Amino acid sequence: MKRLLLILILMVVAGSAAAEVRVVATVPNMGMLVETVGGDAVHVTVLAPPDRDAHYLEARPSMMAALRRADLVVAVGAELEVGWLPAALQGAHNPGVQVGRQGYFEGAAHTTLIQVGGAADRALGDVHPAGNPHYYFDPLRMAEVAEALAARLSELAPQHADRFHANADEFAEQAREHVERMQARTEGAPGAVFYHKDVDYLAELLGVDILGYIEPLPGIPPTARHLSELVGSLRGSEGVILYADFQPSRGPEFVARELGWSQQQLPNQVDIGADSEAYFELINRWTEALVP
Amino acid sequence: MRTVWILALTAVFASGSVVAEKPTLEELMRKIEALEERDRERQERIERLETELRATQAVEEEGEAVDERPAPAPAATGTGPQADPLDPTPARMRARSMGTGEVTSGTAFNPAISVILDGTYAHFSDHIDDPAGFDSGHSHGHGHGGHGISEGFNLREAELTFTGSVDPYFDMMVTAGITANDIELEEAYITTRGLPAGLQAKAGKFLSDVGYINKQHIHDWFFVDQPWMRELMFGDEGLNEVGVQLSWLAPFDTYTRFGLEVLEGTSSGVASYIGDGRHEMVTVLPGEDNQPIRNRWRADKNLRDRDGPRLFTGFVKWAPDLGFDHAIQLGAFGGVSQVWQDETAHSSGRLETWDGDSQFIGADLVYKYGRGGLMGHGNFVLQAEYVYRERDVEYQSRQFTDFSNLALTGPSDDPDRRDQTWKQDAFYLQGVYGFAPRWNAGLRIDGAGLTNRAYNDGTDSVGRRGMRDDLDASWRYTGQVTFAPTEFSRLRGQVSYNDIAGGHDAWQFMLQYNMSLGVHGAHAF
Repeated sequence: MKRLLLILILMVVAGSAAAEVRVVATVPNMGMLVETVGGDAVHVTVLAPPDRDAHYLEARPSMMAALRRADLVVAVGAELEVGWLPAALQGAHNPGVQVGRQGYFEGAAHTTLIQVGGAADRALGDVHPAGNPHYYFDPLRMAEVAEALAARLSELAPQHADRFHANADEFAEQAREHVERMQARTEGAPGAVFYHKDVDYLAELLGVDILGYIEPLPGIPPTARHLSELVGSLRGSEGVILYADFQPSRGPEFVARELGWSQQQLPNQVDIGADSEAYFELINRWTEALVP
Repeated sequence: MRTVWILALTAVFASGSVVAEKPTLEELMRKIEALEERDRERQERIERLETELRATQAVEEEGEAVDERPAPAPAATGTGPQADPLDPTPARMRARSMGTGEVTSGTAFNPAISVILDGTYAHFSDHIDDPAGFDSGHSHGHGHGGHGISEGFNLREAELTFTGSVDPYFDMMVTAGITANDIELEEAYITTRGLPAGLQAKAGKFLSDVGYINKQHIHDWFFVDQPWMRELMFGDEGLNEVGVQLSWLAPFDTYTRFGLEVLEGTSSGVASYIGDGRHEMVTVLPGEDNQPIRNRWRADKNLRDRDGPRLFTGFVKWAPDLGFDHAIQLGAFGGVSQVWQDETAHSSGRLETWDGDSQFIGADLVYKYGRGGLMGHGNFVLQAEYVYRERDVEYQSRQFTDFSNLALTGPSDDPDRRDQTWKQDAFYLQGVYGFAPRWNAGLRIDGAGLTNRAYNDGTDSVGRRGMRDDLDASWRYTGQVTFAPTEFSRLRGQVSYNDIAGGHDAWQFMLQYNMSLGVHGAHAF
């Protein structure tokens, strides 16, 4: 009996010592960052599939079940997940990961956002007065978030702190190298038309002009009038049209046909479980696509 | 001597304060040095990042002004806990800069506010009867208030919702429905934020978590009106009660939630409560020389008094993970009310009363499919719920025999005091499909009284009242088409055919707009 108890205690102690930090990432790009920084010391669950627009998900019970047992939730933030994450958190019955607690991490709070402010008027579409939340298209900003994430993970698992910081530093180093190369590659790129404001960070980083958007207003599907105006204003100039895999292709195809430009549909997120290499590969695909 | 004392005291105080201050000063100096060191490190880091940023922007053309202002507190949640004192990330706490240039945290601490406006136009081919056995006929008073729709234009309500965090321990939500001449508190409750072990408590006035559609508001419905099940089994406002709820989310891989509710017990369908009181009637009869003479009739109703809580409910919800495209949730629930009472006063001076208790049991199913199509395109939602209800009551039909006495009506050998066991049920099944971006169409079938053991309040061949009367089921078939330009607005058209047992069949035609303003909270599943 005593021995049994001892074994049981040992098992519990061993179990807690080897315990990973259970992290729930909202989208695969954030999941990638957690895997990169956390390595073996974290177990990551991703709530959204890569081929979905994270603006328009719905809170599902399985999200709540995952959040119930999480030590840390890692969100993009800046209201990207506002349509479903609050409901999922509310239903999770887990005080540790509520907004404001140690277990809630929002990347947007740890980097600088563009397009901050602006009128909080929905007549202007699905606006984000808190700033453009798609910073995950900027490897340098992701590196900043990685450093902050390393600090947060270190609070949760101090025994791995050195490793977390080393991993974040390595990611940052890689990000700088990639960005340098990409910037050289896109020099003289003609500019691009995007579907939504989701690639703005990359365009800004690489110094590529944004010539227009397929959407007339954020979150509002393209209208014929807007598309013909867009074509009219861009006729005779050079550029490319890029959009994400979950964005409908009819509008971009129309504009590309009218202008004689190339158009390309690319993933917005890495696959679930992907590593930083896959992330840089994804950013690189967009970069290459900016150069016709 | 006095001077010496004063000097001595001054010296003591002075030395005392010096002694007390000395280590504090040193500590402060150390702290300041540490802070300065940290500040230097941060400054260096900022400069390094700025240099990098300048380098990356060097290739950028002119005119592309880059807004490098730090983000104001990103309001991450629709439920409002934006400003939490336990926030470890100071960026979230930064005060918002107001339009006038002042910096204030005013807006950041205010609750999230939303206003939802709902209006309808309705046309019916005939009077819409209540399904047989559900004619709420025992209380002619309450009719169809609440969300009932009448013919012509209706502004159903402007629903005003405030949500926010009270402190690190509680969230609060208050929803008021404002109609043309009334303000009704629809829900007002607090929920806990910090209970351990997956527990959450709720207290206040709230829509019970039994079933699926019961706790939804008009804005969440896929149809203009609510299913019969919610309206007929629970009440016009559903099961909306004052009380407390405790729920537990089990730490399983599969979502499993259990809940118990202790409620006051006032909902008309399962827990209506009157309590004892006097039945009163005033008549004016001609006396001598046709002078009007007023008579007051007064007698005890003899209904049971019982303080709340009287209604106890429980539920379980289970939702296996079916991947990203599919979601399903199954639920079972039940409730027991210690009291169910009703009365009907007739102008003849006859009083009918029902006094007993009631129980209900039910099941619910929701299945959602979504492949991430544009604006709901290709999404499908299947929803079904069933509720069975039993009421064990004592029925009495009594009549004034003089100004202060009620006596049972009916044959003298079998007067109208009868035990009744009402057994009734209702269900709905609906499917809604997003047939194009922004558009969805849905079909719903409502059934009420598939089991329909009711009791008649008319007289039988030997003059007895309150005798058993097994009634037929009533059916309603509804189709709707919705156009939702954005997630904040929707326009809907709906047609229903009512196949009412013991009443007219009738068509209903309805148009609806439902718009929301302000912070639009995330939808629960």
